[in-house]
Amino acid sequence: MTPTAGPPDNDGVTHVWIAGAGMTRFGRRSESLPDLIAEAAQLALADARIERPDAIVVGAMNPEEFTGDGNFGSLINTHLGLSQSPALRVETATSSGLAAVYTGFAGIAAGLHRTILVVGGEKMTHVPTPRVSEIIGRSIDPHERRYGATMPALAGLITRAAMHKHGLTLKEFSQVAVKNHANAARNPYAHFQEPVSLEEVMASRMVADPLRLYHCCPISDGAAAVVLSAEPTPVRVAGIGQGTDTIAIRYRSDLTSFRATQVAAQAAYRMAGFGPERVDVAELHDAFSPFEIISLEDTGLIPAGKAGRATLEGQTALDGRLPVSPSGGLKARGHPLAATGIGQVVELTWQLRGEAGSRQVDARVGLVQSIGGLATNNWILLLEAGR
Amino acid sequence: MIETTLPASRCPRCRRLIVPPAARCPEHGDRMEAAGVPNTGEVVSFTTLHSPPEGFRSPLHIALVELEGGARLFCHGEETRGVKIGSRVAVENVDSVFYFSHMGFADRARMFWRRAGARGEKVTAISKSLVQGLFKGRTRGQD
Repeated sequence: MTPTAGPPDNDGVTHVWIAGAGMTRFGRRSESLPDLIAEAAQLALADARIERPDAIVVGAMNPEEFTGDGNFGSLINTHLGLSQSPALRVETATSSGLAAVYTGFAGIAAGLHRTILVVGGEKMTHVPTPRVSEIIGRSIDPHERRYGATMPALAGLITRAAMHKHGLTLKEFSQVAVKNHANAARNPYAHFQEPVSLEEVMASRMVADPLRLYHCCPISDGAAAVVLSAEPTPVRVAGIGQGTDTIAIRYRSDLTSFRATQVAAQAAYRMAGFGPERVDVAELHDAFSPFEIISLEDTGLIPAGKAGRATLEGQTALDGRLPVSPSGGLKARGHPLAATGIGQVVELTWQLRGEAGSRQVDARVGLVQSIGGLATNNWILLLEAGR
Repeated sequence: MIETTLPASRCPRCRRLIVPPAARCPEHGDRMEAAGVPNTGEVVSFTTLHSPPEGFRSPLHIALVELEGGARLFCHGEETRGVKIGSRVAVENVDSVFYFSHMGFADRARMFWRRAGARGEKVTAISKSLVQGLFKGRTRGQD
C-alpha cells in the first residue's frame, strides 16, 4: 500500500487548507439526499481540481429516520463513483457538519491523507413537520423529552432566562432575524431570499413563549462540501475546537451561556495562536435568534451583556464592524442539519477569497460556530486568508 | 397529603444533587448516593408551547425549577399566569410526572407554619414568612 501522506511543513506541523468549496441551494428540494450530496461534492471537487480524494467524510444527522438510508459512508462514496475512497459517517446532532470537518482536519493534520472530501447534507422537507420536530428532538435528554421538551421549548426557556438575567430584549433578538433575512436576500444559495421587517418578526405567531415563529430557523433540505488539503491554498484552517456540556439541561447551573461554545472557542483560539480580536467575520448558529446574541458573547467576539445592543446598532450587519452570518444564517439561509456547519465554512471560504458577490465583506479571518443538540456538542473553526 | 421531599441522588465528591436520581454524577462519574430534597423551590425559567409534541395538550406549560439544595427539574404546570422567574413554587409528583404550582403569600405562610409547627417555633416561622414575603416582593399579589 502506498502512503498518501507527504512530509510535514517547515514548522513541523501539517497545516490544513481549504482546496475547494461548494454547496447546493438550501430550501425545499425535490432531489434525493444522495443526489444533493453529490451536487455539493462535485462542486467542491471541481473547485479543488481534484477527481479522487484520498478519503471521504460524510456528515449526516438523521438519514435513517428522514430517508430510510443506512450505511451512509458507503452509500455516498458509491453514489459519487468514489467507492475506492475510504468513507465514514460522522454525527454530533445539529453540528454534524463541523464534526465532519474536524474528522477530515484530523486526517490531514495527522498525515494520514493529503486530500479529504468533507460533505454533509440532510433531506427533511418531505416529512411532516411534527415528525421532523420529534426526530430532531431525540437529541434532547430522554427524561426532559417526557415533559414535552422540544428544541423550541428549551430555546424558549433559555431566551426568557437571558431576558431576565442580562436584560436581553425582544427587539434585540428580533433584529437578528431581520439582519439575517437581509443578508440572505443577497445569497442565491439561501432558503429565504426575502427581507422581513422588525414588526413582522415581532408580530409572528408565538411558538414557545417568548420565541415567535420568525425567531426560529426553517426546516430545509440541502448539502455542502469542502475539500481539505495538505497543499497550501489561499485559505487555511487556523484552528478548530470542540466543547461539550451535559445533554440534560437540568444538570447545568447556567442557562444563558453555553459552556460548549466557550470551551470550543478557547481550544480553537489556542490552536490558531490568536484571539477573537483578529476575527473579521463570523458565521454563527442562530437556530433560534437569541442564540446568535449568546454565541457572540460565548465566543468573546462581543463582551458579555453587550451583544444585543451591538446587534441593534448594526455592528453585526453586512456593513458593520463585525459582519455576522453574511450567508443569512440558519434563520434565512436555512438549516439542513449536517449541511449547515459545512455550508458556513463554504460561505467564509468564499468571503476570504473575495468570491461572495453582493454580500462580500472585507475579511482576512473568519469564525464558524456550530451548535450540536441544545449546545451539548459545539464546534468552533477559524479560517485565515493566506499570508 | 402532598409529599414534601422528592427522591434525589447526591455526588459523594461534589455534593451536587440530581432529581430524579441518576446512577452517576454527570461531571465526575462517581456513583451517586440516595438523597431527598424539599419539594419547594424557585422558577429558573418557563415557557408555553403552542404546538406541543404529539401526546401533549396545547398550550403546554413547562418550567425549569431549582429546588432548595440546588437540584433542578422539569415540571408541567396548569398555568403560568402570575409566574415569574424567581417565583416560589411547590412541586408535586403525580404518576411519576412533576407538576409545579405557584405559591402565593398565603401558601408560603401556611408552609412555614406547618413546618415550624412540628418544632414549636410558630412565632419565628410567621416572622420568617413575613420577611420572605417582603423580600420576594416581585411575586406578590398574583395568587
